[in-house]
Amino acid sequence: MAAFLIRRLFWALFLFFAATIVTYLIFFVIPADPAKLAAGRNATAQDVKRVAAFLHLNVPLYQQYWIFLWNIIRHGSLGYSYVSRQPVRFLIGQDAPVTASLVFGGAVFWLSLSIPVGILSALRPRSVMDRLSMTFVLIGISAHPVWIGLILSFVVGYKLHWTPIAGYCNFFPGSSAVQCSGPVQWAYHMILPWVTFMVLFAALYVRLVRANVIETMSEDYVRTARAKGASERRVMVQHVLRNSMLPVVTILGMDIGLALGGAVFTESIFSLPGLGHDLIAANNAGDLPLITGIVVFATIAVITFNLIVDVAYAVLDPRIRLT
Amino acid sequence: MALLEVTDLRTTFRTDDGVVKAVSGVSLAVDQGATLGVVGESGSGKSVTFLSVMGLLDKRNADVSGSVVFDGRDMLTMRPSELREVRGARIGMIFQDPMTSLNPVKRIGWQLEEAVLLHQDVTRREARRRAIEMLKEVEIPRAEQRVDDYPHQFSGGMRQRVMIAMALINNPELVIADEPTTALDVTTQAQILRLMKRLQVEHQMAIVMITHDLGVVAELADDCVVMYGGRVVEQAKVTDLFAKPEMPYTWGLLGSLPRLSLVSGRLEQIPGQPPSLLHPPSGCAFNPRCEFVMDVCRRELPELRASTAPDHRFRCHLDDETRDRIRVAKKAALNPEEHAA
Amino acid sequence: MRKKHLLSLLFLTAGVALLVAALSVGAASSATSSVKKAGALRGGVLRVAQSNTDFDTVDPGLAYVTNDWTLLYATQMLLVNFPEKNGQAGSELYPEAATSFPTVSKDGKTYTFHIRPGLKFSDGSAVTAASYQRAWERNLSPKMGSPYGVNDQFQKVIVGGEDFLAGKTQHIAGITAKGLTITFHLTHPNPTFTSYLSMQWFGAVKPDMPYTTTGINVYPSAGPYYIASRDPGRTTVLKRNPYYKGSRPANPDQIVITSNTNQDQALLQTKAGTFDFDMNTVPSTAAADLGATYGVNKGRFFVGPTACVDYLLLNTARPPTDNVAVRKALNWGIDRPALLRILGKYAGARSDQILVPGIPGYKPYKIYAFSGADAAKAKTVGGSALTSAGTFNVLHTTSPARTAQAQVIEYNLKQLGLKYNDVPTAGTTYYNTLETKGTSYNIARAGWCADYFDPFDYINVLLDGRSIQANNNTNMSYLNAPALNKAMDAAAALSGKARADAYAKLDLQVMRDYAPWVPYQINNDRFFVSARTKNWIYSTYFGEPDLNALAVG
Repeated sequence: MAAFLIRRLFWALFLFFAATIVTYLIFFVIPADPAKLAAGRNATAQDVKRVAAFLHLNVPLYQQYWIFLWNIIRHGSLGYSYVSRQPVRFLIGQDAPVTASLVFGGAVFWLSLSIPVGILSALRPRSVMDRLSMTFVLIGISAHPVWIGLILSFVVGYKLHWTPIAGYCNFFPGSSAVQCSGPVQWAYHMILPWVTFMVLFAALYVRLVRANVIETMSEDYVRTARAKGASERRVMVQHVLRNSMLPVVTILGMDIGLALGGAVFTESIFSLPGLGHDLIAANNAGDLPLITGIVVFATIAVITFNLIVDVAYAVLDPRIRLT
Repeated sequence: MALLEVTDLRTTFRTDDGVVKAVSGVSLAVDQGATLGVVGESGSGKSVTFLSVMGLLDKRNADVSGSVVFDGRDMLTMRPSELREVRGARIGMIFQDPMTSLNPVKRIGWQLEEAVLLHQDVTRREARRRAIEMLKEVEIPRAEQRVDDYPHQFSGGMRQRVMIAMALINNPELVIADEPTTALDVTTQAQILRLMKRLQVEHQMAIVMITHDLGVVAELADDCVVMYGGRVVEQAKVTDLFAKPEMPYTWGLLGSLPRLSLVSGRLEQIPGQPPSLLHPPSGCAFNPRCEFVMDVCRRELPELRASTAPDHRFRCHLDDETRDRIRVAKKAALNPEEHAA
Repeated sequence: MRKKHLLSLLFLTAGVALLVAALSVGAASSATSSVKKAGALRGGVLRVAQSNTDFDTVDPGLAYVTNDWTLLYATQMLLVNFPEKNGQAGSELYPEAATSFPTVSKDGKTYTFHIRPGLKFSDGSAVTAASYQRAWERNLSPKMGSPYGVNDQFQKVIVGGEDFLAGKTQHIAGITAKGLTITFHLTHPNPTFTSYLSMQWFGAVKPDMPYTTTGINVYPSAGPYYIASRDPGRTTVLKRNPYYKGSRPANPDQIVITSNTNQDQALLQTKAGTFDFDMNTVPSTAAADLGATYGVNKGRFFVGPTACVDYLLLNTARPPTDNVAVRKALNWGIDRPALLRILGKYAGARSDQILVPGIPGYKPYKIYAFSGADAAKAKTVGGSALTSAGTFNVLHTTSPARTAQAQVIEYNLKQLGLKYNDVPTAGTTYYNTLETKGTSYNIARAGWCADYFDPFDYINVLLDGRSIQANNNTNMSYLNAPALNKAMDAAAALSGKARADAYAKLDLQVMRDYAPWVPYQINNDRFFVSARTKNWIYSTYFGEPDLNALAVG
């Protein structure tokens, strides 16, 4: 186990370097000039030079990359945004929880929905229930989150007034009387984003769970369990579920890592100040420190989730050995 | 009275391509403490027969009719809760592939304990003790340590012993073994068969040994049933079957047994493929492959007739004279020294 | 004699009475006027959305973007400021913190302001001359690294500015602040100087407000509001300044601005009443429907002009647009109404000149085709230069609107029998391309908004040929006409009415004789407000309503 973790750690470092170097390279290959962008409309050549010096842009690329690394090692700092001049670490720290709320909350929802529906569909193939859930799957996979989000916010939020139309509230209660906060408001504002975000994944997972359960139920050891005299319920719970959920665990880890990207659409529609939204804004403005910071964060997130998934899989399936 | 009496069992499967007649009127009986060998090729219906007996087929596409009387009660009409009490406690079942038949993510101790706890009102500890005891009985070394291992940590032969332990742990009156040694090598096969024989004596249970190998039947069984195309085509005491096989298919099976005394050359094969159970041939199911086929064979299904020995029945249109002649010729071919002498 | 004495006595009494009245009104304005204003307009929390963006900073030393200034207008007190009035009156400066317009020395290089006594920041401390000195210093200090402060070359305007910027001095030599008197010593006479002071960079800040490169989010200010809290990227909250005694409105109790909202959703939320309006206007596709449902400027849907002009740059340094006849022909042959229509209903007013309403010197001219392309006239004006013209490179960004506009231009070119290359360019590099000398575009769309309300900011800044450099050009049509440059210098040296007239003439002359652009639109901003919002006072300068005047109580 120790050897496994150490090897994974090296991989993580390698991926970190790879991702950040590529980001830097891409950024400097494209002809946007961040010093120009930061200097503003009327800047003279001198002004741009001044800004470039201030932002350390007047040194060669590898040196800038080294400054970037040194900042991380020495100060734990990811630099300052060119646009807002706020520390990138602060911006990410503030906005990551929003994306996390969306993704993890969405994951809880989609699992809570897809596992029971998938199992029921598997138990009664071709029934009305099964066909309805497959229709839902088709819609969920085909409809774009933007479309779903807009429809939901218009119908449920604007016309029916059942939920807020858009916006985010901090989870922790604040003292301000004019800004919403606290767990209740947070959840209330997140309902539509969660539904929008999770529809696609729920659809995919219903299919996955259904297929896995059907396949597991035809396994020989399920027949053995019945031959031992076990009830259907016992067979399902003790023998079928755990085995059919193993692939779900693997894919879940990957999906959560990737979901950070897909969250962009939902964040945009519902005005959630998360990392997906930040990334788009940063891209448009050529805000390299923020872009790099988000890339770093995303890389770490994906690596971490893959690691968790691998360990979880080894825990759940004794046939797997971590190497 | 027989322990298990199957009368006119018919099992069909509804598939997208049509109705598959897997079992078409099978009748057989198992006596207490006796061993019944059920022989046939793949697709003969031998496994399906006993899966139907145990009610282990998927009711959504399998239709079972007939009667299966176990200890005076018809298993086909039992309530599910009653059936569950029989399964695993009074009738045990051993399956063909022990790797896939054991849950890969549960320790075998847990799986054995489950078998106990489903039917006996004992503590977990007592169930575990029983499990270890059973593992010892099936000759698994270091049972106290191995009880916490997972199936993939056992070899093929060991796993089958575990399956046997699981089937026997509640002291059933009948054990149905569905090709228990097919997936194992010959040496292990011999060990397993020996084990089963010993356990049968110690536990005084009846065994149904489903196999395609007449050699296994010869070693273990008292009675034998030969199945083909979803029907019983010959049934007799084992000694009678080997002494006087009455049916071309049985001749073929016997002929294809490897013998040390065979001079040289290839094993005799039965040419052709098992029949399609979706569109079975008309008349005798064996007719496309029978070297002695007659016109009537293609038209009419032969009824089960009695042979000379008691409880020896067979299906064939050939008349007695012809059959005797052929049988003698075949025996000579198989045992040249015998006839030479 | 007696009559005369009597008359002068009368005048004197009247004058004194008026003065006394004025003084008492000024001194006690908050007490009386706030009592008067109390009731219908005051109170409530104004909820504002700011779609797709946030303030890049709220620190006056670093803020450059229009929205930043809209916010700062509500929180800052300037020496001279714009009043909360609609229409032309809203762009006429008045002395706010200053007792009056400055005293200017004879040589035009020294400006002296006296600051009203008793003005206070939101933490109770006093506003003095040092407050305004500090504002200038935060703008030019190398420790702030504010590129914007030097944007308009302010370090060259004030004596000692260059040295201060270079870090050689602790204070700007040319600014002396003593008590309530502040004096600016300029390097050259500059009639535009007073209007510089209307920019939000120069609001009063406490003299100890630190230098910082990241910007300060929450700090005491002297205007009707102060920033109570700021969550960058999310929310900014303004609260009424308890020490503000001036006459500017401070209607809402609090102003809450939620940034980075989705523009379409914000419109929906405004309809539902969750927001009162969106600082970043309504989506252009919604304008027609809103206008039809609510009417224009009738209380819910507002369309207001901005100080922004949209135009097609013509590259005078590259054929075929290096030929003036060709450029004039384009001004006849390009369909202005079609270009406007693409931007949605009420997007703007047609224009074919450089200046915009509100800028001194603006006089509406119609030199070229207004109601559509006049291909015949264009061909006549263009003559042989047009028929022998080579290929036009039409540059545009890849957004749907600009791509569609490029298609209109290209259609017009085709009508004139001209060849073109369509060159879509990424938004991040578009201006880079235009601003580099030797650039290969011929026709490209650009826009310009006033930094301050003076024609210098349009004509000199955008068309002075001597400012052309290797890159980062603002004169993106690369026009360099010595006669024109001289005329620009001459106009810049004037002040008052003479200045306005000179620039009016220049506006006409440049377009009629040189035609470096095809201006097509004076932009409108289109806003939709919630049902409860009242007292809409719109600033052409910001292209936004005055936040402190909106009433939701």
